[in-house]
Amino acid sequence: MEIRGAVSLVTGGAQGLGLAIAGHLADKGSTVVVADVNADALARLPGGLEGVRMDVTIPEETKAVTADILERHGRLDILVNNAGMIFSEPFVNIMNPAAMMHDYGHFRDSLRVNLDSVFIVSSAAVEQMVRRRIKGVIVNISSISARGNEGQTAYSAAKAGVNAMTVAWSKELGRWGIRCNAVAPGFIDTDSTRGALSESIVKHVQSSTPLRRLGRPSEVAQAVAAIIENDFLNGVVFDVNGGLII
Amino acid sequence: MDKRFLALLSEVFGLRECDIHPGLKKADVGTWDSLRQMDLVTTLEREYEVALDIPDILRMISVAGILEVLQEKGVVVGN
Repeated sequence: MEIRGAVSLVTGGAQGLGLAIAGHLADKGSTVVVADVNADALARLPGGLEGVRMDVTIPEETKAVTADILERHGRLDILVNNAGMIFSEPFVNIMNPAAMMHDYGHFRDSLRVNLDSVFIVSSAAVEQMVRRRIKGVIVNISSISARGNEGQTAYSAAKAGVNAMTVAWSKELGRWGIRCNAVAPGFIDTDSTRGALSESIVKHVQSSTPLRRLGRPSEVAQAVAAIIENDFLNGVVFDVNGGLII
Repeated sequence: MDKRFLALLSEVFGLRECDIHPGLKKADVGTWDSLRQMDLVTTLEREYEVALDIPDILRMISVAGILEVLQEKGVVVGN
């Protein structure tokens, strides 16, 4: 798909990785709508990006936003499901005998934000694509943690679910000309990563990565664009991790 | 029903052409599920260059129904 002239929706696009992706698509000539729950971050969006407040876990909001995009721009070609939240909690914490096990509420919350959200937003977007016979592209932002990362039971499960949905949708939606792929970043140098990991863990990750550094948001954005532009890529989970295997 | 139409339905539903007749209904064909219905729609749109909307698709639950919709779109499926 030619990015120039396409209409894109990037969820969680007001900061960090999402902002890098949104900016890159805009630089390549796409009209980009950034949906985010963070009103302050939306207010700081750079020029060229169109911001809209949306909670990706509320179906009615996502339906309203996608319908509005269709109304104002006439189409929706690209959906980047980037919204999510890194979440870490050990399955067993022996240092907390009163509540030793992973909190079930936290588990459900993480799945809601990182997995349900992808289902909810994609449902709204794909309905519009199918009804209007738009041969669109969905790019889900997965994670290296989908392989199962210690200390991240919920986040790993959510991202593994995202990978599975990606493949299922690639098979089911291909007949409509809609492609679905995922990008699975390794450890990327964002505020989100720095906030979730201690400095010592970051150093350990860097030394474990064959390229000996964290990834840059722009490198993930380039991968997203490459997937959009290659019309024969479908059902792929594309690792962008500097060679790190967990 | 012409050879082209029979071949399309045969391919979509995995049926022998000799088993396809106007009286055949969705309920009679085990492979005619919602996924195959989508294949049917995209195949007909591509092959006959027609646009099928949701009401059309909902009516296409028998071979007779498919023929009726195609006829309304100006497609001639001859003998």
